[in-house]
Amino acid sequence: MSELSELHRDALGELFNLGVGRAAHSLSQMVRDEIELSAPFVDLIQAHEVSATLIGSEFRELSMVTIDFEGPFVSKAILLFPERNALAILSNMLDPELTPEELSEFEQEAMCEIGNVILNACMSALADEFGIELHGGLPEHYFSDTESLPIFADGAPEQLLLLLQIQLTMRQQLIQGHLVFLLGVGSLLDLRNCLDAYLDRLGMR
Amino acid sequence: MDIELGAQLIDSLRIGLILLDHRGCVVSWNGWMKRHSDLGLADVAGRQLAELFPEVSGSRLESSISDTLRFKLSSMLAPSLNPSLLPLYHRPTDRQRDQRMQQLIYVSPLRHDHCACLIQIHDMTSALRRERRLRAQSTRLIESSYQDPLTGVGNRRRFDQDLAQRFRQAKDRQRSIAMLMIDVDNFKAYNDHFGHQGGDACLIQVARTLRDGLRRDGDRVSRYGGEEFAILLTDTDGPSACAVAERLRLAVEQLDLPHPAAPGIGRVSVSIGIAAMVPTDEQLCYILVAQADLALYTAKDAGRNGCMWYDAESGVARPLPASKTS
Repeated sequence: MSELSELHRDALGELFNLGVGRAAHSLSQMVRDEIELSAPFVDLIQAHEVSATLIGSEFRELSMVTIDFEGPFVSKAILLFPERNALAILSNMLDPELTPEELSEFEQEAMCEIGNVILNACMSALADEFGIELHGGLPEHYFSDTESLPIFADGAPEQLLLLLQIQLTMRQQLIQGHLVFLLGVGSLLDLRNCLDAYLDRLGMR
Repeated sequence: MDIELGAQLIDSLRIGLILLDHRGCVVSWNGWMKRHSDLGLADVAGRQLAELFPEVSGSRLESSISDTLRFKLSSMLAPSLNPSLLPLYHRPTDRQRDQRMQQLIYVSPLRHDHCACLIQIHDMTSALRRERRLRAQSTRLIESSYQDPLTGVGNRRRFDQDLAQRFRQAKDRQRSIAMLMIDVDNFKAYNDHFGHQGGDACLIQVARTLRDGLRRDGDRVSRYGGEEFAILLTDTDGPSACAVAERLRLAVEQLDLPHPAAPGIGRVSVSIGIAAMVPTDEQLCYILVAQADLALYTAKDAGRNGCMWYDAESGVARPLPASKTS
C-alpha cells in the first residue's frame, strides 16, 4: 500500500513536525510549563490493520478526540491516547493533586480541548504550507478499546489511515500517543496533489 | 425567515452569541451577551475582542479566533483549562464580588460574505457547582459506606477489603501480617442487664479504647460483627502482635466499666485471638481469620479476659508467655 513515495512521506513528516511544534507551543502556554511534542514516524496503513498496529503498542483502553476536516481533501483526524496516558496528561495540566476519580470527571472536556489544540495545529500547518483552506468541525471525545474501535469499522474497507506516532514530554514524563488521519482513496490522491504542488514550489521534485 | 424574527430568536437564546467579520471585529452581540457583560452592541460593534477585554490578548481564545479566521478551524475551550476567561457574570451581584461565570466556549468558522467567525458561550457555573457538590457528597458517601454507624470504626466491608489488600501485599513482599480477633466477654449478659442502649454505649467505649490503643498510622479497628472487632497489623510478627493484643486487653480492663452480670472480675473485658504469618503463594487470606478465630475461642474456653496466639507449628492456640497478669 505505498501510494505515497518516500519523498511524500518525508514532506508530510516535516509538515506534521511543524504542526506538532505549534501545538507544543500552545500547550506550553496553557500550562505555563515546557511541553515537547514530536511526531517521528509517518505510516500509511489500511483501516483493518489499525487494531493490530495499536494493540502492538500496548494500547487497550483508549481516550480519543476526533475532528472532521473538509477542503481539497476530506479527512477525519483522530488523536489517540491510552486512557492512563490521557490521565497523566490531564493530571499535569489540571492539578497533580486531583485523584484519578476526580480527573476522569474532567477528562471528556479537557481531553477534547487538548486534542483540539494538537489536531488544529497540525491541520493549520498543512493548510498554511499548501496554501489551502481546511474547514474544521468541533472536536468530539470518545472512550474506546482497541477491539471495538467504532470509528474505523464505520469507514469503507478501502479507507486508508495516515498514522503518526507522537511523543509528548511534560515535566520529565514521556507520554506516547497516536495521531491518525482517515482518508478515502480519492482524498489520498488529493493529498498527494497538494504534496506535489508543495514540493514543486520548494523545487524538490 | 425574516430578519426581524431572526434577530428576536438570537436575542432570546440562553447562550452567548458573538459574530465576527473577516478582520475579527464584532458584527453581532446577542441579548445574552448584553445581559452578562453589561455591554450593548453599540459598545462593541466594529471592535476586536482583545480591545474590549484586555485579558483576551495572548489567550487561547485569541489564537482560536485567529485559527478560525485564517484557516477555518473550529475550537472548543473547556472551563477547566481556561477558567473564567471573559469578564461575564452570572448575576449583577457577582460583578461586585468579581465572581466570573465559568464558561465553555466554542469558536467556529462561517461561510458568509460579512461574517467569518461564530463564538458561542455557555454558562457552566451551576453545572460546575453541582459537580463539586456531587463530588463532595460522593466522597462522604464512600467514607460512610466503610464506617460502622454505631462505633465509628471500620465496618465489615472495610475489614474484608483491608484483609484482601494487605494479605496480598504481605504475600508479594514476603512480610509478616498479623490479625487480632477481639470479642467482648459475656456481652449478652451485659445487654440483658443494662438494656440495648447500655450495650451500645459499651461497644462505643470499647471501640474507642481499641482505636486509641493502636499507635501506628494505617492500623485500623473494624467491627467484624455483633460484639466482635478485628485488627490487621502489617509488617508485624507473632510476638509483636501478642504485645499489641495484651496492651489492648489491659486498656479495656482499665476502662473499669461495671459488669455485674459477669462472673469473675465484675468489669467489662475482652478476649483476643492472635494469628500471624508470612503468607505462602498457596495460602488464602481467610486462613488468617480462621486461625485468629480458633485462638479467640481457645481464649474464651480458658476463662475469658485473656489473649491466645495460634501456633502454626502445632496447629493449636497457646497462651502468651506472660499473659493473665491481672
